[in-house]
Amino acid sequence: METLTLLIDQFLIKFYRLTGQTGVDFVIGTLVLATIALLVGKASVFVALQFTRKQFQKKAAEAEKYHLLSLEALQEGDQEAYNAANKLANEAFGHSFFQQAALSAAFLWPVCFALAWMQHRFLDVAIPVPGTGLSLGFIGVFIILYVIVYFLGKRIVRLRGLSSKEAAPALDSPQNLAEPLLVAPPSLTHLSDKK
Amino acid sequence: MRNRTWCTIFVLAALVAVSTLVLTGVADAGKLEDAIAQTPQGTEKGMINPDAPKGFMGIPGGPSPFWFYGILWGIWVGWIFSTVGAFGGIMAGVGHISVFGLGDYAATFRKTSPSLNALLTDSIRTSNQYLVGLSALMSSITYYRMGRLVLPLGAALALGGIAGAYLIPVLTAGKISLKAYVGYFGIIVLIIGCFLFYDTTPAGQEKKKKAKAAANAFQEAVKKGSGDVAAQGVRVKSWGLTKIEFSFFGVEFSFNPIWPLVGGFVIAAISAFIGVGGGFLYVPFLTSVTSLPMYVVAGTSALAVFISMITSIFTFMFVKGTPIDFLFVGAELIGIAIGSVVGPYTSKYIPDIWLKRLFVILALYVGLKYTLRGFFGINI
Repeated sequence: METLTLLIDQFLIKFYRLTGQTGVDFVIGTLVLATIALLVGKASVFVALQFTRKQFQKKAAEAEKYHLLSLEALQEGDQEAYNAANKLANEAFGHSFFQQAALSAAFLWPVCFALAWMQHRFLDVAIPVPGTGLSLGFIGVFIILYVIVYFLGKRIVRLRGLSSKEAAPALDSPQNLAEPLLVAPPSLTHLSDKK
Repeated sequence: MRNRTWCTIFVLAALVAVSTLVLTGVADAGKLEDAIAQTPQGTEKGMINPDAPKGFMGIPGGPSPFWFYGILWGIWVGWIFSTVGAFGGIMAGVGHISVFGLGDYAATFRKTSPSLNALLTDSIRTSNQYLVGLSALMSSITYYRMGRLVLPLGAALALGGIAGAYLIPVLTAGKISLKAYVGYFGIIVLIIGCFLFYDTTPAGQEKKKKAKAAANAFQEAVKKGSGDVAAQGVRVKSWGLTKIEFSFFGVEFSFNPIWPLVGGFVIAAISAFIGVGGGFLYVPFLTSVTSLPMYVVAGTSALAVFISMITSIFTFMFVKGTPIDFLFVGAELIGIAIGSVVGPYTSKYIPDIWLKRLFVILALYVGLKYTLRGFFGINI
């Protein structure tokens, strides 16, 4: 285990020594680290979903079924049916909420490992923020770069036209539920966009 | 599109808030070192032996839970999350307090180094929040994007939530001993256990059966494909200090904004104090206060969780300088991910009622044990 840790450390630190400029190297290295964390997270969510997709969709469908039923009851003015359907929708929602919460751990664990490594290497690093007299710690730099890499990655996939069913998960796929910053499922966006 | 715009605004606002708070992080990096330095050196209980191998958070002689056990416990937590729900957060706390010995270790410093005792307690609270909160946060954003937001309701909840999630860490970080924390943790577990127990009683089961029967009866009665039920949305009709009115699918709803404000404060305060996400409290609270449909409640509560979690975690970490063992939290997250895969498979073979009964027993045991230990010093 120690050998593996050492190997990873040696591999990662290389990206922090590319130009010899401390600030630039720190940004480049952290950018690479954030990219690795994002890719590993996406890969592990993909693997996890191969096993859970059906159960996941079943609960989400149940929540939506009762939700739509409650809306119909509301339109019909049937308060009792509305309360009943809404209660069942809430229960199904609660179930699928926690299923997703647990599944999103597959997306997040690499972030913790990345931060653990940075904590070990750069605990005292302070990147000055120009004109403020303040400085940014390693967590702040990582979070900002991680979010940038995430949105850049999405943009690149779109630009390359890779958002087809083969290249990217379908809009209503559970993968998009475990990776929340992606687009919302159409079955539910129709609820939010049709106004 | 409006929802997407709101989502982007909130993500950016959160990012700005996070970055601002992170700016103060470096100044607090030495807090653990200070606490260690104030602790008497030696090999006895309540002392730190500088020559001992580094353990939890790099403390010499601290417990050093093997990362693989973190994964194993994470599997258990993830399994509970995907089968029973909110009780997973409690089990995450039990792991940190009892299973990995962090609670017992922190307790040894109660007299010799109260600052280290409190810092370790805060770290346990924040670790729980990381485990549960980060995952809940991810799902919350998803549900926020799916649902519709009743803006005044969300704003009232969020305002209360920010106050609760900020004030509790500020007022209690560094001041709550492990003993007190364990006691309060026990009481919350007992309360959750009571709710779980009610669900398993004939009255609770009957209520569920009735709801199902009523929903099915209505389903039979409605014409198939009747109209576009999703074509209407939330329309806020009037804002006031004591009453806010809005319509949803042509039906009028109103609420007094003071209740979500108070509710948001209380829920965020409990969540921040114990170290949980709080999502499981917002939904029933909103349903009972506003009687809104599920997806609207989901969207609104998600906003509240999102804002209060960010406030709480970052107040703990960057305003109060609470250290976190990211490596161990990462190992536990791997376990939770595995547990979330295993859970749906196994739950097919275990009836829901039996799962709940199992957790009622666990909740009673954990709740009683922690309450007695925390408030009366009795170990069972």
